[in-house]
Amino acid sequence: MSEQTETPTSAESADAAGLFDRWDALRERESFSILGAIAFVVVFPMIFTNLPAYNGYMSLVELIYIWAIFAIGFDLLLGYTGLLSFGHAVFWGGSAYAAGLFSANFYGEPLLMVLVATATAVVLALIIGVLSLRRGGIYFAILTLAFGQMMYFLALGPLGGITGGEDGFTGVSVEPLLGVIGLDQGFAGVLGTVFHDISYVLFAGFFVLAVAVAVRIVRSPYGTIFQAIAENEQRVRFLGLNVWRYKITAFVLSGAFAGVAGGLHTIHAQYVAVGSLFWITSGDIVIITVLGGIGSVFGPVAGTVAFLYIENIVSGEIAFWLLVLGTLFVTVVWLFPAGIWGIVSSARSTVREQLSEDDS
Amino acid sequence: MSVAGSIVGFAIQTLAVSSIYILVAIGLSITLGTLKFVNFAHAAMYLAGVYVGLAVALELQFSGDLAGSIGLESFGLDLGFLAALAIVPIVTFGLGLLMERFVARPFYDRPDTDQILVTFGILLIVQELIRAFVGGRSITFSRPDWAEGAISLGPLGTYASWRLTIIGITAVLVLAVYLYIEYTDVGLAVRAGTEDAEMVNLLGIRATRPFLVIFGVGSGLAGAAGVVGGPVFSVVPEVGVGVLVPAFLVVVVGGVGSIAGSVVGGLLIGAVEVGLQMNAPTWSSVGIYALAAVVLLVRPAGLMGVVEVDE
Amino acid sequence: MTENNTQSRRDVLKTAGGAGMVGIAGLAGCLEGGGGGGGDSEYPSLGNYPIEGDTATIGFNVPQTGPYQEEGADELRAYELAADHLNNGGGWVDMWDDLSGDGVNGYEIDYVTGDTATDADTARESASRMIERDDVIMFGGGSSSATAIAQQGLAQQEKVLYMCCLTHSNDTTGGDCVRYGFREMFNAYMTGQALAPIVKEEFGDGLDFYQLYADYTWGQTVEQSIRDFFEDAGWNEIDSVPTPLGSDDYSTFLQDARDSGADVLFLDHYGLDGSNSVSQAVDQGINEDMEIVVPLYNVPMAAGAGGSIEGVFGTDGWDANLDNEPTQVFAESFEEEYDSTPSSPARLAYSGTLNYAAAVERAGTFYPPEVIRELEGHEWSNGGIGDEIMRECDHQTMRDILVVRGLSESEQDPDSGRYWEVVEQSSYPDAVGYDCENGPAAECELGEYGDE
Repeated sequence: MSEQTETPTSAESADAAGLFDRWDALRERESFSILGAIAFVVVFPMIFTNLPAYNGYMSLVELIYIWAIFAIGFDLLLGYTGLLSFGHAVFWGGSAYAAGLFSANFYGEPLLMVLVATATAVVLALIIGVLSLRRGGIYFAILTLAFGQMMYFLALGPLGGITGGEDGFTGVSVEPLLGVIGLDQGFAGVLGTVFHDISYVLFAGFFVLAVAVAVRIVRSPYGTIFQAIAENEQRVRFLGLNVWRYKITAFVLSGAFAGVAGGLHTIHAQYVAVGSLFWITSGDIVIITVLGGIGSVFGPVAGTVAFLYIENIVSGEIAFWLLVLGTLFVTVVWLFPAGIWGIVSSARSTVREQLSEDDS
Repeated sequence: MSVAGSIVGFAIQTLAVSSIYILVAIGLSITLGTLKFVNFAHAAMYLAGVYVGLAVALELQFSGDLAGSIGLESFGLDLGFLAALAIVPIVTFGLGLLMERFVARPFYDRPDTDQILVTFGILLIVQELIRAFVGGRSITFSRPDWAEGAISLGPLGTYASWRLTIIGITAVLVLAVYLYIEYTDVGLAVRAGTEDAEMVNLLGIRATRPFLVIFGVGSGLAGAAGVVGGPVFSVVPEVGVGVLVPAFLVVVVGGVGSIAGSVVGGLLIGAVEVGLQMNAPTWSSVGIYALAAVVLLVRPAGLMGVVEVDE
Repeated sequence: MTENNTQSRRDVLKTAGGAGMVGIAGLAGCLEGGGGGGGDSEYPSLGNYPIEGDTATIGFNVPQTGPYQEEGADELRAYELAADHLNNGGGWVDMWDDLSGDGVNGYEIDYVTGDTATDADTARESASRMIERDDVIMFGGGSSSATAIAQQGLAQQEKVLYMCCLTHSNDTTGGDCVRYGFREMFNAYMTGQALAPIVKEEFGDGLDFYQLYADYTWGQTVEQSIRDFFEDAGWNEIDSVPTPLGSDDYSTFLQDARDSGADVLFLDHYGLDGSNSVSQAVDQGINEDMEIVVPLYNVPMAAGAGGSIEGVFGTDGWDANLDNEPTQVFAESFEEEYDSTPSSPARLAYSGTLNYAAAVERAGTFYPPEVIRELEGHEWSNGGIGDEIMRECDHQTMRDILVVRGLSESEQDPDSGRYWEVVEQSSYPDAVGYDCENGPAAECELGEYGDE
């Protein structure tokens, strides 16, 4: 919606061009993306929970925001820097355990939990990043996968006394926000229709924040260099830039997003499953991001909505939904590398070209 | 039990565990070394080996949701285990050729992230197809009668004869492929490719016959791994990934592109796994990943590595 | 009957009052925790109470994919049978005085199903969908302790009742117990109690034993219980070794067990893991030197292991071949409907649903705290396995357990689900059971009813 620029067609009439240009200029602004995200969190639940058939429900909406934060962060790595990690479950699950353990042993204030989760993910990302980024491409994917599985087996076995092992961590205890505002406190009247309750504001707020931060990053000089590395690492190196430093920055940033999401998930579920560290979780985030469309901030959001909707709603109707999802995934990789968001964007351009031609 | 007995016991366990990893790893290693192709879908060949093997050797019941709707119930040739061991590698060899032609070839010139993504997706599809037709429940792949029971090696202990059989079969297969690559034209092309992957790339000869054949041979071995592994590991759709991840570690540890590397890597991973199982069982799954990480940091090209598959 | 009428009237009023609120707004109202149900309500709204309309929805959340899908499929059959009997009569509904066969408390019973995929997170999400979207008043299921524990945590949070099905870990009604969860299945502790005297009598005094256990919470509780009860009985544990999750090859461990020189080998593995470890043990000829015990039996495990389970001791909760009326009535109606013999998880699913419905009838309302109080301390003897009591202090049912022994391949009859013979029905309180201050119950704190 925001950072992708569209090439203006020559056939545009002066009038239409003026209008479109102004629209583009508007769309180019960072604030436009943020406003878009805010509009999304207001409108989306109303539509999603009131679909005529197979409707969604509120906690799924919140779950979508949480996974979307994870996916946006993953895309900073895959879409912008071109690095494919198969071990991102480490940051999601590791931070979820950190938040849970912190709430059980110290204090379950939600914002503190998210802070602890994010800090944990950043530390993990630094360690794993330094080790994995010594090798590129294929090795990077396999190494991250190996570290991910190592953490999973650690949580399952040797650390079972702390993590609860296979049964998961059940000791999560979430306190009111800032110590006073209960998370399930609702709003009355119109406010209730828009903001639902405090926990909704918390999850939606972090989602909007994640979009804002991601847009800021990709628009910054750093973001430009990330993209340059994805396109041609050699050239960036020739420019005298330290490629490794940018890669580790992207990796840690992406881990931090996963950490925020993992911490929020613990608040949401009040439980941490050991499966959150399993390679399937890493695979899910790959599928979500690629399906939605890499290299854009809103692509991963679209992917999250599609994936979680299929996983939680459609799965009740079609037993072999994973087969459908797998086929969809391969089709996207093969034929539409730009993903769902890319298809939407190109449809929009086509419509606009059509309109412009009609005008002239 | 004697010290010699303990050593023999450890060796046999290690060899048995390593065998299946090695059989799967060789194909991965060769395609990675020569074609620079990352193949997550290699696990689908193992899966094909298990399920086709079951249908050839015994009988395969279809109890998935899709099978019921088209009236498929069961299929089995009931030809026995040796027939499966002969037929399955040929089938997966053929599947490998198809995969090279229709999956790998269109992706040779695309970034390796795309290769990983598409092969990962194909693995998912194969896994879910099996679930839709055969069902997700686990199936028993019975051992052949002649390999039931245990064999006593006197003071050296008693061992399951099936494990000794696996070791024997693997040794024969690995030796045959090794000789094939060492002494034939196909092998020559492969060795040249491994030593100078860049050249192969530039000459655009990846799509030529030797490489096609080698893709098939790797798939054939993975299929054979499915047949011998079927009676050891659980027969469920997810088992493909369960074998793929350790096999990748074997490739990473041993070094890309050489059969010797896969054998050394496989033995090392197997030895660490078995050794930890005997002494610190909770750490056995963690240990093999830690080993892979350490080897990569100390020797980035792997223990027997000849090429760096980096940029 | 009068009660039923007021209930439906209240419902009509509530629906009329809430007509302006659509979906999400209704939920917001619920979260405000006020009198969303209107002044006419006997009880304030809580969880998914009061029910809108004249249909009460129940959720059946079972593994339809993953390693326990066979158990899940059998549970689901029994759940659907239970819903049918509650609405139309039949089976135990005709035998239990509390139930009418004309719905529950004047409401028709409808159900939704979900797939836990034997994964705790998936199970929790699926239950969450049932609670929020489908407005279930109760849900049941779970074929693994991890999924059961994850689901009952959600039940407590959302104030919607959860009737556990297959979960054998001590923690479910021990450290992880909740007010909104109930379990009829026995646990590892009781398995140890039931097995020790009988196995000891069979094999002799003062023997050495060796344990291999699945290295996750369930396996650890079984291992602990076996050690406690067999050492109390005068046996001596030589060693106890965890086998890592995800490994299917037990030969190394089995070899060590044999080398230890122990007399008896306990294989604390469940389902497919159990059938793998037993068949590999027999394959290595271990049964020639040692006696083998598999603490918890189930049908897929026995079917997978085939003749390997011959003479192997274990426990189970119920058997379709038991000679009593409720067993025969249930087995017959199940066979009539599905043309197969019900497994013991199927009976748990059926029984749990009916017990919930009976408690609602006795309470005269679906209001969860009242239903919970009816279930607590409830005693019944028409469930096919003797006298049972749903204990108040930890929501664990105290009940009989079957000690069984595997049959040889030629004696097994897969068509009628016959893989083992019942050696003894170990009865509560003589042979099994523990009081509220002991065993797993000592760690249990149930939490709130929600109307405090």
